[in-house]
Amino acid sequence: MTILQICQWLNDSPLGTSIRESDFSFALIETTHVLGITLMAGTVAILDLRLLGLMLRQDEVSDVAGQVLPLTVAGFVLMAISGSLLFWSEAARMYFNPAFRFKLVLMLAAGLNPLIFHRTVYRKVASWNLAQPTPAAAKTAAVVSLALWTGIIVSGRAIAYFH
Amino acid sequence: MKLRLAVFVAGASLLAAIPALAHHSFSAEFDGHKPVRLVGALTKVEWTNPHSYFYLDVKDDKGNVVNWGCEAGGPLALSRAGMKRGDLKIGDTIVVDGYLAKDGSHLIDARRVTLPDGRNVYGGSPGDGGPSDTSAAASKK
Repeated sequence: MTILQICQWLNDSPLGTSIRESDFSFALIETTHVLGITLMAGTVAILDLRLLGLMLRQDEVSDVAGQVLPLTVAGFVLMAISGSLLFWSEAARMYFNPAFRFKLVLMLAAGLNPLIFHRTVYRKVASWNLAQPTPAAAKTAAVVSLALWTGIIVSGRAIAYFH
Repeated sequence: MKLRLAVFVAGASLLAAIPALAHHSFSAEFDGHKPVRLVGALTKVEWTNPHSYFYLDVKDDKGNVVNWGCEAGGPLALSRAGMKRGDLKIGDTIVVDGYLAKDGSHLIDARRVTLPDGRNVYGGSPGDGGPSDTSAAASKK
C-alpha cells in the first residue's frame, strides 16, 4: 500500500466521511484544534522566552519548565487528536497539499528540537538555572522553537489556500 | 487598564474569527467583478467541509462541453440556506450564479443555486465577505 492509497482509504472510511460531510463536528474539531495549538504553542513560548532571558528572569529555568510542561502536554494532546481527525476527513486532499507537506516537515523539526535540547544543554540546567545571560545553546533552541511553531501555525492556516 | 482592554479586544476579535478559520474568504480565490451564470448538468457532488463542491457540464459558445467546478459553503451553511444533501442529483440541470476564480481556472464561487424545482438557494459561506454575504460577520466589516 502506498501512502496515497492509505490516505485515500482513511479519507473514504466511515469516520473520515462522516466528519467531512458533517454539519457540526468538523467545525467543533477544527475549533478544538486551534485552541489546542494556542495552549501548546503559547506555553512553549513562555519557556522559550525564559530561555532567551526576556521574562521570568528571577525564576529558575527548570522551575518554569516544570510548571509549563503539563499545560504543553495538554495542548499537545488536544492538538494531536483533533489534528488527526481533521487529516482523517481530508486525507486524500491533504496528500497533495503543499502547505500541509511543509507543515509536516516543520512538525518533525519541532519534535526533534526539544529532544536535542534535553539531551544537551538542558542536562546541566542546574548549573545555569539562574545564569544571566543564558547559554547560547539554550537561546538557539528557543529561537528555533519559536520560529518552528510560528511556521507550523502559518503553514497550517495556508492549507486552505491550496487545492 | 488600557492594556487590559487592548488584550481583551484582541482576544475577543480572535474568538470571533474562529468560525472563519474553517475556510478561506471569498476574495482569496474569486473576483467579485467577474459574475458568471452557468447552466449545466451535474456530474459530481462533494458535500464536504470546509467547502462543498459540485461540478457541471456546461456548453460554451462554440458548443464544446466544459466541466466547471462550483465552490460553495460547507454542509451546515448549505442546509441552513435551504438545500439538503439529496437535492443535488447527478444529471439534473441546475443554474449557478457566481463569480470566476482569479486564476482563470474552470472554477466559480457559487453564490446562488437554482434547483430543478425552482428553489433558489444561497450557496456562499456565511462571513466570507463575498458579494451578497449578509451574515453578521460580514456586516461588521
